[in-house]
Amino acid sequence: MKTFFLIASLALGQGLDPASFSLFKLPPAVWPTYNGDYSGRRFSDLEQINQSNVGLLKIEWMYRIQGVGPQRGVGNPTIKSTPLLANGILYFTIPDHVFAIDAHTGDRLWQYDSEDHGGHLVGQRGVGMYGNWLYFMSPDGWFISLDAKDGKERWKKKIADEKLQYFTTIAPMVVKNHILIGVGGDAMDVRGYLESRDPETGELQWRWWSTPEKIGDQAADTWPNKSAMDHGGGMTWLPGTYDPELNLLYWGTGNANPVFAGQSRKGANLWTASIVALNPDTGKLVWWFQASPHDTHDWDNVETPVLFDAVIAGQPRKLLAQGARCGWFFVLDRTNGKNLVSAPFSGTGNWAKGVDQKGQPIPDPAKEPKENGSMIDMPAMGATNWPPPSYDPQTELFYLNGTEGYGIAYLYDTSDNPEGYGGGGGGNFDTKSALFAIDIHTGSVKWKHEHSGSAGVSGGILTTAGKLLFTGDSGNLVAFDPSSGKILWHQRLTSSVSNGPSTWTLDGRQYIIVGAGDTLYAFTLAGKNQ
Amino acid sequence: MPALSLAAQEAGRGGTREFLGLGPPPDAAAAKKGEPLYAANCAACHGKTARGGQAPDLVRSVVVLHDEKDEEISALVKNGRPQAGMPAFPGMPQEDIHNISQFLKLQVELTANRGTYGQTYSSLRTQTSGDPRKGREFFEANCTACHSASGDLSKIGARFPQATTLQARFIWPAHSGPVHAIVTEKSGRIITGTILKFDDFDVALRDARGDYHYWPRAEVQVKVDDNLGGHRALLPKYSDADLHNITAYLATLK
Repeated sequence: MKTFFLIASLALGQGLDPASFSLFKLPPAVWPTYNGDYSGRRFSDLEQINQSNVGLLKIEWMYRIQGVGPQRGVGNPTIKSTPLLANGILYFTIPDHVFAIDAHTGDRLWQYDSEDHGGHLVGQRGVGMYGNWLYFMSPDGWFISLDAKDGKERWKKKIADEKLQYFTTIAPMVVKNHILIGVGGDAMDVRGYLESRDPETGELQWRWWSTPEKIGDQAADTWPNKSAMDHGGGMTWLPGTYDPELNLLYWGTGNANPVFAGQSRKGANLWTASIVALNPDTGKLVWWFQASPHDTHDWDNVETPVLFDAVIAGQPRKLLAQGARCGWFFVLDRTNGKNLVSAPFSGTGNWAKGVDQKGQPIPDPAKEPKENGSMIDMPAMGATNWPPPSYDPQTELFYLNGTEGYGIAYLYDTSDNPEGYGGGGGGNFDTKSALFAIDIHTGSVKWKHEHSGSAGVSGGILTTAGKLLFTGDSGNLVAFDPSSGKILWHQRLTSSVSNGPSTWTLDGRQYIIVGAGDTLYAFTLAGKNQ
Repeated sequence: MPALSLAAQEAGRGGTREFLGLGPPPDAAAAKKGEPLYAANCAACHGKTARGGQAPDLVRSVVVLHDEKDEEISALVKNGRPQAGMPAFPGMPQEDIHNISQFLKLQVELTANRGTYGQTYSSLRTQTSGDPRKGREFFEANCTACHSASGDLSKIGARFPQATTLQARFIWPAHSGPVHAIVTEKSGRIITGTILKFDDFDVALRDARGDYHYWPRAEVQVKVDDNLGGHRALLPKYSDADLHNITAYLATLK
């Protein structure tokens, strides 16, 4: 802790004051981590832009990525990162590239480029910041520290082996003097882990594995043998959340491997497809909740575990909620993981036979992938995904962009020792995408905005004290009334919203920042020029 | 059709390989030569498909996955790993090692590259365990208001020889072609045509005369042609057995 405060005071000149990291409060002129504050609520206290004046929103500037060209296997650059804001400068990323932009003007200050040497370029969620230092992951497993002033590389450390099909897209998360980084990769049956590294040296502080190490260890009885655990998956590819008072880190873990073929890994397969609570100083597991036990549908459970406080049945509670890719909404007591709500939001949850004593869905073996196909009443590839959800304490509603419909999953590799995916999911029968507003007390859907026609990608969600909800819809950035779902304002963009919108105040003006394809947009109120 | 889908499959596996960053594709001819060499020299310990036996899995092998130009595999084959019980093959010709290495890389490809699965498992995907008699009963009870086994569906089994494709087709026969809609303006004027754009904010049609029309979404009522109502109503009713039985029945309609 001593070193931590020393660095903090040194960093105050130009860097990011670590005091701006907190559970629920954000200083107005900063967006210091991927989710803004530590809670993952993506709710802002700012209200200069509000229901009475949202019609005056205008584009203040645009920054379009140029000179990068199509990226290997994924096409044109797409901004999935949430830009950090510190000292009037925005830092955002796409795979292999970091950009520093003047937040007042959209002028580029510097750009850092990493050469493509493998890994998946499926996304890049952004940088982490500590004092004057930025932290970035290249897709091929390099953990890179940059000087925020000029983008010069300080050092880099190899933290994952892309030849084994690990890849790295995460925005590093800063908690005290720990830089937390997770990994992706489910093509070759590797084992998931989360690392904590030193902000100054990049050296490993601890590594938590998502599956048990050996027979006899905690939860090893949820696997048939050591080989299954060694190849069991459970990736950690999205930033988690943190409660400083409880000193608990909350992280979602990915699906088990082999992905669709579960016959060689009978059992619940802990701690894949789970929410885990870890001690950030030691990496020790404190509690867990498994959203998709023995997952056989590629249902990564990495969706943000959102932290909030609310009064439940007359009692003030410290809570955690997640809208999970498996189509269920969960509310837990974040002090101990005890379940309060488990309810499907997409379909009837017919892949499960109900919930167990912990509130975890009980997978129905009849609904696992089959050679002839097995149909479920939600999209086979999941009901939601990584785009950030939001919790608004003013409405006590949890918002997510999700899909409904029917899907079918097939088992291809019927051998005793399947490897890789071993099957596949698809179908997309009668698929509809929608913005869901879910009641945290009951898990019921209070309102839902179904997109007309085929709307497609709609990005993440931001709610504000101005009684506004920002998200993408039909190629537009849209402001909804968070209590009713009514559309209040929209602006057509050159591509669909592709990241989570964010907001902050600079020189007295509130900005809304959103990425759409290769372009970052900044919005302000007309007539608010200083 | 087959030629097209093969080409599409090739493109699919190449695209997935590029996305996954798997490096250059294995040499299929060399892998074929390597197969009997692998069977004769390696399979007894490493398993028939190289997924391991008494000796390690070579598909998930760090050595194989890191090998670029046979350098790692050659060294291991020639020197063996005596302490682990792996014999050395000092006299094995370099060409044989190369062919075995390509065979192993092909096994990696078939596991890691999901773009190859369609081809690998195509015969599996042509089978169905359904009961055509029960499928026919379901069909006659639920589908004959719109469809006929001797009429529109008389050749459906021949048109979709792969069972999984046939199954997906009857569950949700959405087509990607033009969609027709009827737009009613506030004045009561009605325009019909083919949808060019339809989302929460914009509606655009081209009418039968070729004229273009645009409206803000909020200003008009839009009725999109939907002839999938019957299919939609059945979605919550099907059991998996129903799906497989109907597939088996439709497959007989040739």
